[in-house]
Amino acid sequence: MNQQLPVIIVIVPLILSIVNSFTRRRNENVTFYYALAAMSVCLVCSIIILNTVNSQGTIQYHLGGWPPPIGIEYRVDHLNAFMLILISFIGFITAIHAKKSVEKELPGKIALFWCLFLLLITGLLGIAITGDLFNLFVFLEVTSLTGYALVAVGNKKATVAGFRYLILGSIGACFYLLGVGYLYIATGTLNIADLAQLLPRLYESKTILMGVAFILIGLSMKTALFPMHIWLPDAYTYAPSAVSAVVAPLMTKVMAYVMIRIIFTVLQPAFSITVLRVTDIMVWMGTFAVLFGAVMALPQKDFKRMLSYIIVAEIGYIIGGIGVANTIALKGAIFHILNDAMMMSCLFLTAGQVMYRKGGQSIDDFKGIFKTMPVTAAVFTVGALAVIGVPPTCGFFSKWYLLLGGIQANQWGFVAALLICTLINIALFFRIFDKGIFIHTHGSHEHTIPSCNSNAGHGEAPLIMLVPAILVAFVIILIGVFNQFIINEVLCFTFFP
Amino acid sequence: MFYVFSMSYRPVWAIILPLLVALFILFAGKKPNLRESGTLSGSLALCFIVLSMTPFVLKNGPILFSGFTLFPGIDFAFKVDALGLVFATTSSCLWILVSIYSIGYMRTLKEHAQTRFYFSFALALVGAIGVAFAANLVTLFIFYEILTISTYPLVAHEESPEAISAGHKYLAYLLGGGVFFLMAILATYNLTGTTQFSYQGIFSAILDNTSKVYLQVIFFFFLIGFAKAAWMPLHSWLPSAMVAPTPVSALLHAVAVVKAGVFCIIRIVTHIYGIELMQILGLGIALATIAAVTIIVANFYAIGQKNMKKMLAYSTINQLSFIILGVALLTPMSVTGAILHIPFHGFMKITLFLCAGAIAAIAGIKEISDMAGLGRKMPITFTAFTIGAFGMCGAPPLAGFISKWHIALGAIEAGQLIFLMIICMGSLLDVIYFFPVIRDAFFAKIPAYEVLNDEEPKVELYIEKKNSIEHRKSLYFFMVAPLAITAIFSILFCLFPNIFGIYELATTAVKNIFGGL
Repeated sequence: MNQQLPVIIVIVPLILSIVNSFTRRRNENVTFYYALAAMSVCLVCSIIILNTVNSQGTIQYHLGGWPPPIGIEYRVDHLNAFMLILISFIGFITAIHAKKSVEKELPGKIALFWCLFLLLITGLLGIAITGDLFNLFVFLEVTSLTGYALVAVGNKKATVAGFRYLILGSIGACFYLLGVGYLYIATGTLNIADLAQLLPRLYESKTILMGVAFILIGLSMKTALFPMHIWLPDAYTYAPSAVSAVVAPLMTKVMAYVMIRIIFTVLQPAFSITVLRVTDIMVWMGTFAVLFGAVMALPQKDFKRMLSYIIVAEIGYIIGGIGVANTIALKGAIFHILNDAMMMSCLFLTAGQVMYRKGGQSIDDFKGIFKTMPVTAAVFTVGALAVIGVPPTCGFFSKWYLLLGGIQANQWGFVAALLICTLINIALFFRIFDKGIFIHTHGSHEHTIPSCNSNAGHGEAPLIMLVPAILVAFVIILIGVFNQFIINEVLCFTFFP
Repeated sequence: MFYVFSMSYRPVWAIILPLLVALFILFAGKKPNLRESGTLSGSLALCFIVLSMTPFVLKNGPILFSGFTLFPGIDFAFKVDALGLVFATTSSCLWILVSIYSIGYMRTLKEHAQTRFYFSFALALVGAIGVAFAANLVTLFIFYEILTISTYPLVAHEESPEAISAGHKYLAYLLGGGVFFLMAILATYNLTGTTQFSYQGIFSAILDNTSKVYLQVIFFFFLIGFAKAAWMPLHSWLPSAMVAPTPVSALLHAVAVVKAGVFCIIRIVTHIYGIELMQILGLGIALATIAAVTIIVANFYAIGQKNMKKMLAYSTINQLSFIILGVALLTPMSVTGAILHIPFHGFMKITLFLCAGAIAAIAGIKEISDMAGLGRKMPITFTAFTIGAFGMCGAPPLAGFISKWHIALGAIEAGQLIFLMIICMGSLLDVIYFFPVIRDAFFAKIPAYEVLNDEEPKVELYIEKKNSIEHRKSLYFFMVAPLAITAIFSILFCLFPNIFGIYELATTAVKNIFGGL
């Protein structure tokens, strides 16, 4: 049983997703329970997998019993296991949270939503677990296609945004596939471990360089690295809140993971850094992404759009951290994948709650939430402080490693960008705190309460939404407090030697 | 079983206690009496815990507590040494008095959102105590930020556009400074591999293979990070923050927040750079110059103020720079004076602020020009004010005399007579803006119009107190009593500087830093 876990974690959501798609309309409420069951299985599996990896080292699973270079291999090391836990945890949390908001925002499409949701999780888990570049492409497409559909399932604007996402995402996928093709021509293999062995002899080959370049461009597109981010803000803003709550924390982060794999596992780190010098480009791309995302987030009036630009900036943190290319910064970048996923999950869940109660997601809808929705507001505060990087939330710790790495590598531009972004984040979130804390209570004697009542925007979000949000908020603080544990027990094995 | 109450856990209790109080306030928000009794008993307990550590620290040296690991080589750790205890004692003692005062003030003015007020207040105390007890830069940074963020709702408490924009200014200076602080910490960690406070400073070990300019730049990053110390030109958040309710201005902007700033400067100068290195790098003289300029310029600003609290704010800026000057002179005497000035100035300045608040709450007057003749109507308040004002000028027998005397001695010790002149001039300039207030309050003719007061008692029971308006409501007692107590303490501190062991703590701290006087 334990040996089969790597495939179970992918198969279970896939099967249940298909089951969901056959569920009749009048039974559609049951689809949520299928999804929840699948997510629980994934969560449990991923934890067991991490345990196994911790005790026994890398797991190699040969799909269908075919040996690696020919058959597909699932290869789980610490980094994979870490990503699996992250994905299944966020998926699990979001699934619980999404129940109410899906019922409210997508009436009549509930079964469809849960079907796509599980398919998305399947794809993400597949990307994180597979050890085969082409298999990775397949899962990439599964993820992306469901992603397009999930975004487009919302209102009219969402359809357009989804279409745009589709086009740009497909271009990215094409680039990736082309690159993989080049590598395949040169080496005759698609297995990552195999490639890593074969490639060093071919490092002079122009084909390899071309292939790597295509792969990285394709992935940058999917990661929404500035200036290839243009699909992201619209897609995340107009998507239904349940969708953005799962897509926003995971999609770009998983792609960043793939990038780390390509640069540090498929290629030799020394080669990527000193010969290919891809990291030099990445640190500058990251710097610009951080600055651009921060500046663009400033004037936004829509909360989710603001978060989208913050994601662009956070991607800049991760890519820049990879680009700084020393152990500390890479530690920070990988740690930031985890932290950013948690922070964004937390904030998008808050957005979902506000949407559920107030019917809108603009910053003005946050007026007075500290009074009307105190728990939501507390969760939001934790998320916001984490994004700003206030200790003891997790955001501080990854920022610390990124900054320290930047200082050691003398990447002062990147360091400055991080600090400027921090300052801008302060402005962004305290603007919302102001609205949340002060606006409502000030006018409470006069006329704000009646208008609020007529909006039906009164009271706290339902418990089933609150519990996951509170859980994420706690996790954010716990990650911060126990960051050394996470880094020493899990992350430190993921770095290149 | 009782090991959690043993000495090494006391610092943790001192941090957790205000946190528990904060949570209690949140849950007891609907019942004002329960909420405020929680605040009061919490503050008493905190004061008790802090004071109970003093004898131990004086006898056995610092109390160490190490929690979880934050980064390799950096723990979440507390170290209660003499210097930290001086600051913690000041904050925790004054929290009791200010809690009592807040009850009177907030209820008299029927302020809104009182639960939020008390909650943030307790949280700010967590920050202040944490800053005092932090054992390394990162722990210090964590509590420094907690202090900044928790005080923001207090500054913007009034919720008027003016208050909110003051709050924004406050955040911009302090959190913006925090970024510089973080940068400086990172650079320090990168250079030395540690951020632990050490009596000799941690930079001296790596002086040989680091460029001096780099260390100087880091020092200024630290300084910008400590915008809480309100040195010029980073002072302008402080006068703006005076829109906050008076108890906030009193405890936070005369004691906890600004003193956290100067306290951090003392920590950095003595425990990170070390006295020798400061002299080698020439940073002592640079810091002293900044402080000297601030002392004089802030006084000129204060002379021009019409609003009582604004005037007090500039007076605070001026006095804070006395502390900075004391450290910057780098002699045992002056550092002793600087450390002593933290509690002494705290007690005196809080007296002044509490008076200003009492005048505003009881008589409804905020402008200095309207205070003519008020001294006869509010004798206790204005007597306390007079004591506080004399203390600011450093006149004996008031606490300010002791600390300024030490700083002045230090200036002579260092052979910097120019700074001695600055100290004398700064104290003289204090006279210019405080004495007219006192003179007018006691001796000027009462203007024709009556002082506004909402409830006039129908029957005058106490003929001899006819003029006094301090006794009209029992609620006023909550305001008058604390300010009287702090005023009395301001005198006592001069006569017996060793109350709460403060003088001994200060000398111990200096002994540690200089390795014996």
